[in-house]
Amino acid sequence: MSVLASGEFWAFVGVVAGIYTILALGLQVEFGFAGLLNFGHVAFMAIGAYTMAILVVKAGLSTWLAAPIAILAAAVAGVLLGVTTLRLRADYFAIVTIAFSEIVRYVATNEDGLTGGSQGTINLAKTGEAADYNVEWQRFEDWLQGILHVGSNDVAMLVLVWACALSATALVWLAIRTPWGRVLRAIREDEDAARSLGKNAFGYKLQALAIGSALAGVAGVFYAWQFAFFSPGDFAPLLTFFAWMIVILGGVGRAWAVPVGALVFGVLFAGTRFFDFVPFTWFDSAERAYLRLILIGLVIIGLVLFRPQGILGRREELVLE
Amino acid sequence: MSPALLEVRDVVRAFDGVRAVDGASLDVHEGSITSLIGPNGAGKSTLFDLVSGFRRADSGTIAFGGHRIDRLPAYRIAQQGLVRTFQTARALTRMTVLENVLLAAPAQPGEQLHRNVLRRAATRRREREVRARAHELLELVRLSRHAEEQAGTLSGGQRKLLDFARALMTAPRLVLLDEPMAGVSPALRGELLEQVVSMRDEHGVTVLLVEHDLEVVMGASDRVVVMSDGAVIAAGTPAQVQDDARVIDAYLGVAT
Amino acid sequence: MFLQLLANGLVTGAIYALAAVGVSLIYGILRLVHFAYGDVMTFGAYVGVLCNMTLGLDLALSVVLAMLATAALSVVLEPVLWMPLRRRRAGFMSLFLASIGLALVLRQAIFLAAGPQPRSFDVDPFKVHTLGSVRLSGAQAIAIVIAVVVIVLVGLMLGLTSIGRTMRAVSDDRALAAIAGVDTGRVVLLTWVVAGLLAALAGVLAALVQSSFDPNFGFALLLPVFAAVVLGGIGSAYGALAGGLVLGVATELSTWESLGGGVDPVYKPVVAFAVLILVLLLRPNGLLGRAQVA
Repeated sequence: MSVLASGEFWAFVGVVAGIYTILALGLQVEFGFAGLLNFGHVAFMAIGAYTMAILVVKAGLSTWLAAPIAILAAAVAGVLLGVTTLRLRADYFAIVTIAFSEIVRYVATNEDGLTGGSQGTINLAKTGEAADYNVEWQRFEDWLQGILHVGSNDVAMLVLVWACALSATALVWLAIRTPWGRVLRAIREDEDAARSLGKNAFGYKLQALAIGSALAGVAGVFYAWQFAFFSPGDFAPLLTFFAWMIVILGGVGRAWAVPVGALVFGVLFAGTRFFDFVPFTWFDSAERAYLRLILIGLVIIGLVLFRPQGILGRREELVLE
Repeated sequence: MSPALLEVRDVVRAFDGVRAVDGASLDVHEGSITSLIGPNGAGKSTLFDLVSGFRRADSGTIAFGGHRIDRLPAYRIAQQGLVRTFQTARALTRMTVLENVLLAAPAQPGEQLHRNVLRRAATRRREREVRARAHELLELVRLSRHAEEQAGTLSGGQRKLLDFARALMTAPRLVLLDEPMAGVSPALRGELLEQVVSMRDEHGVTVLLVEHDLEVVMGASDRVVVMSDGAVIAAGTPAQVQDDARVIDAYLGVAT
Repeated sequence: MFLQLLANGLVTGAIYALAAVGVSLIYGILRLVHFAYGDVMTFGAYVGVLCNMTLGLDLALSVVLAMLATAALSVVLEPVLWMPLRRRRAGFMSLFLASIGLALVLRQAIFLAAGPQPRSFDVDPFKVHTLGSVRLSGAQAIAIVIAVVVIVLVGLMLGLTSIGRTMRAVSDDRALAAIAGVDTGRVVLLTWVVAGLLAALAGVLAALVQSSFDPNFGFALLLPVFAAVVLGGIGSAYGALAGGLVLGVATELSTWESLGGGVDPVYKPVVAFAVLILVLLLRPNGLLGRAQVA
C-alpha cells in the first residue's frame, strides 16, 4: 500500500501516459481529423523504435541522429501503406491496416539477425552491455536531471516526454485551425463534396497518415529510450486499441482531448493495481492483470454505449458514427 | 459558331452490362443556361458524374474549354472551373456556414500546411480576401445571418443556397446543377431560380442543370437537351423541343 | 510433397471457411465486423476442452456441448450488447469498437478462468491416416470431414430453406426486408445461433489440428479469417467459403520448395495477409464481391 504513495511509481505511470499521448495524438490526426480507420497504428511505433535501435546498435550511429531518421522511417512507412490501401473502402482499409501491423510484428519476431527476434533488442546488444542508445540516453537524462534539479531520472523523463507531448498537441491544434485543417475536416465529413470543390482528398489523407505515423514513430523512440530493451510483443494490436480508447475517451476530433484521455486512461490502468478491496482481493497479482484488461474492455463498450463523445466532446459534434 | 464550352461526344458507361449512358453527345455554349431533361433512368445523373469526373466513361470524349477532361480525377476538373452540385445538398454539417464557403475558395496557399509557417503574410492576406468574398456571397444568397451557425441547422432549401454560394466561390466557368429544385419548398424555388439566372447574368457563369420542374426548364433555359435511354434524342430551344415528336414519345413511352 | 501441402491447405482452408461463413453472415445481416469472433472461437474450444479433459466426456459430446454453449453466448450478447447499440443507431465504427471491447473482455476472462498454459484435447497425436502419398493426422481427418459436411449443410440451408432465403434477403437490404414484413428479429437470432455454432466448430477443429492451444489462438486465426471474408467479398457467404479455401491452400503451398525455395513456414500468416493486400489492389471489392452500396 505504501507503493501508492510512491512518487517514483506515479512518475513512471506519467511517462507511459505521455508516450501514449503522443501515440494517440497521431491517431487523432488520422481518425479524428481525417476520418481514417487505422487499426494498425502501433506498427509505426514499432518501426520507430526498432529503426532507431538497429541504427544505433548495428550501424553505430549516434542516437541523436538515429532518432530523427527513425521518425522519418515511420512517416515513410505510413505513406507507403496509404498509397497502396487508401483507395479501399473503409472497412477493408481497417482490416488491411491490422494485417499490416501484424506483418510488422511477424517480421520483427522472426528476423532474428535484424531485430533480435522474439526476445527483442536485448539480443542486439552484446551480452553484458547496455544498448548504446540507452547509454547515450541515460547520459542525457542525468544531465537533464541535474539541470532540472529533480530527484530521479524518471522524473526528468516525465518532464521531457510531457514537454514533447504538449508541444505536439499544441502544434496539431494550431494545424487544424488553418485552411489546411479545414480541408481535412471537410474530407472527413464528405469526401465527394470536398472533391467537387477541387480538393485532392487522396493527397490530404496521405498527409494525415504521414503525420500520424511520424507521431507514432516519436512515441516509439521515446519508448525505446524509456524501456531500454523491448520486443515485438510490446507492439501487439492491444496497444493500438489502447490508443483508440484514449482518443475516444478524451473526445474524437479534439486535439486537447488526447492528453486528457491519456491521463485518465493511465490513472485507470495503473490505479486498479491498488484496489485493496473486495472483489479485487480475491485475485492474485497475475490475475489482476487480466482483470485490468477486462476493465478496459468494459470501459470501451461503456464509452461506445453511453458516452461516445468522450469526456471533452459535445453530443452535437459527435464524430463517432 | 465558336466551339462549345463543354463538348460531350459519344460517351458510353455501362454497369453490370446495362448501358446507363449509351453514346450521348451534347454541347453547352458559354454564357448559357442549358437544361438536361428526360424521364427517370434516362442517364442524366450518370452523365453528370461522367462529366464531373466522379465516374469514368467506358468510351467517348469530354472536352472542357477545348481540353480533354474525361481522364482527369474529379478534383482536377473542379480546379479547372467545372464545378458540380449534388441532388441532396452536401452541406458540411459539422462546420459553420461560413467555413463551408471558405472551403470552396480556389488558390488558397493556407491549404498547404507548410505555407502557414513559411509564407505567413501571403497566406493571411489571401485568407482575408477569401473571407470578404465569402461574406459577399452569403449576402447574395441571403444566408449572412447564419454565417457562424453550424451548417447542420439549415433547412433543405437553405442548404441548396449554400451549395450555390460554394459553387460561385470557386469562380467557376461552368456549373453543373443536379436537380437544384428537388426537395425545396415551392416558396423557396423562386429564390433559387433567381440565383441560377443571376449566375449567368451577373457572374458570367455557364449553367447546365438537370431538372424535372418544367417551369424552370422552359422559362429560364436558353437551350434544352433531352435524354432517353442513355442517349440524347433532341436538343434546341425550349420551344423547338416542346414540339419535338421524339421527346413526347420518350415521356409518354415511359408513362405507359 | 505438393499433395501433402495441398491436403494440409484444404484442412486449414476448410476451417477458415467455416469461420469465414460465420463472420460473413454477421456482416451481411447485422452490418458488424465482428472483431471478437476469434475469441468466441477460443471460447468454444475451451468449453470443449473443459468437457473433454476436465469432465472426461467423450470428444463428440464435448464438441456438441461446446457448440451449444457458444451459440448460447452469442444469443445472450444480442439483448445485452448489440440491441442497445442498434437502438442508439450505432454505426459501423461504434459496432466495430464495441466488438473490440468485447474481444478484450472475452479473452482476458478466459485467461482468468483457465490460465495461460496450453491445453490439448484427448486425442491420440500419433494416429495417422495415409492416402497415397498424403498423411493426415486423426485431427486433420476429422476436421476436413466435418468441415465439408457442415459447409454443405449451411450452403443448403441458405440456398434452399425459406429461412435461408429470408436471411439472404435481409442481408441484401435490411430496411426493405423489414417493410416486406420479414421478422428481422427472428433472423437476427438465427444468425447469432448459426454464427455461434460455426465459431465453436471452427475453434474446436482448429484446436484439434493445432494439437495444443492457449487463449490467444482464436485471435491469431481471426485475421486470416477476415482476410478470407474480404477476399471472397464481404457479405457473401459463398465468397467467404471460396476465400477460406483459397487462402488455406495458398498459405500452405507457399512453403513449397519448388516455388523458389518456398516461404519459411513461420511466415504463413504473412502470406495470408500478403494475398489479401494483393487481391484488394487488383480487385478492390474482393474476388466475388460487389461494389459497396451506399
